[in-house]
Amino acid sequence: MTDYDFDRVNILLAEDSPFIRSLLVNSLKVLGVGNVFAVEHGGDAIHFLQRVKNEPMKVGVQQIDIIISNWDMHPIDGMMFLRWVRRHKDSPDRFVPFVMITSYTEPERVLQAREMGVTDMLAKPFTIKNIGEKLINIIERPRQFVHTKDFFGPDRRRQKLEHDGPERRVLTDKSEGVEIIRG
Amino acid sequence: MDKKKPVIVRFYRFKNRLKEKTAGLAPGQVGISPEALQAAEQALTKMAEDYPDWVSGLIVKLQEQHGRCVDTPEKRRECFEEIHRIAHDMKGQGGTFGYPLITVFADSLYGFTYQRDAISDSQVELIKSHLDAMRAVIRGRVSGNGGEIGEKLTQSLNDAIQKYTD
Repeated sequence: MTDYDFDRVNILLAEDSPFIRSLLVNSLKVLGVGNVFAVEHGGDAIHFLQRVKNEPMKVGVQQIDIIISNWDMHPIDGMMFLRWVRRHKDSPDRFVPFVMITSYTEPERVLQAREMGVTDMLAKPFTIKNIGEKLINIIERPRQFVHTKDFFGPDRRRQKLEHDGPERRVLTDKSEGVEIIRG
Repeated sequence: MDKKKPVIVRFYRFKNRLKEKTAGLAPGQVGISPEALQAAEQALTKMAEDYPDWVSGLIVKLQEQHGRCVDTPEKRRECFEEIHRIAHDMKGQGGTFGYPLITVFADSLYGFTYQRDAISDSQVELIKSHLDAMRAVIRGRVSGNGGEIGEKLTQSLNDAIQKYTD
């Protein structure tokens, strides 16, 4: 097995606790991630992404490949940040993989993040293995993005499950009203 | 002219650029080797040595808030909010660094500082009981479930909770 080469990968990390932040930065570095840009909260993260869009040469990065963000931060939390990334016109990449860190494990919270278009959740307390698994998941199993009148984000259906009954999903790729965009 | 039906759903399917970037075009299985993971875990363990200092810093902050609760009763709600926030920060990682008791105590603190209207003196006192328990864990480097000492600490905190919530 060959190791992934994360050397050219750019990760933006938003985490308000200095301890956890340095911990995550170091963990990612040890895993070989080339560039980790760490900021203190969602507001700083948005500001950073705006700079990536407007003055990439100055910031020294053309594109952020993965965002990892804590949920509970002040004044701008992870959900507000995620909302901005997925929906705001100034967002440099509305499709960027977004991992939310949380110690809230209530299903409603997970659901809430999913509806906002989160790619994956990282639960505290985490291990290096958890972080590695999230990275592999993002690289190996990217999901198509879905855009409807009330949702924009990675397909919430992760698995293709076999079932015996008739196919009752109304829309297929060829249906009218379905548009497929490839890039 | 045929009328185009409005788009109900758009699917965006992109080339996996991240895969190209990280795995190149080389054939065969790519992953993170157990050796790389182990090296990373070791680095995490090393960082974990600073964990008690970090927690001590937070305990000092909690102590300050507790002092404010005593001195300025009219600001208790504000203080409780701040304590609630710090406890949340604290409870997340205790287990990772071998101090699950910190997580247990922080979780308890987090739970009972959640949105309160009238905050009584005994509730303020209960903050102190939590701080004492946390300090004991850090001072004694009580890792894991703490065995007998851990049990005693948990028991005395539970006694305090019992006493002050009656």
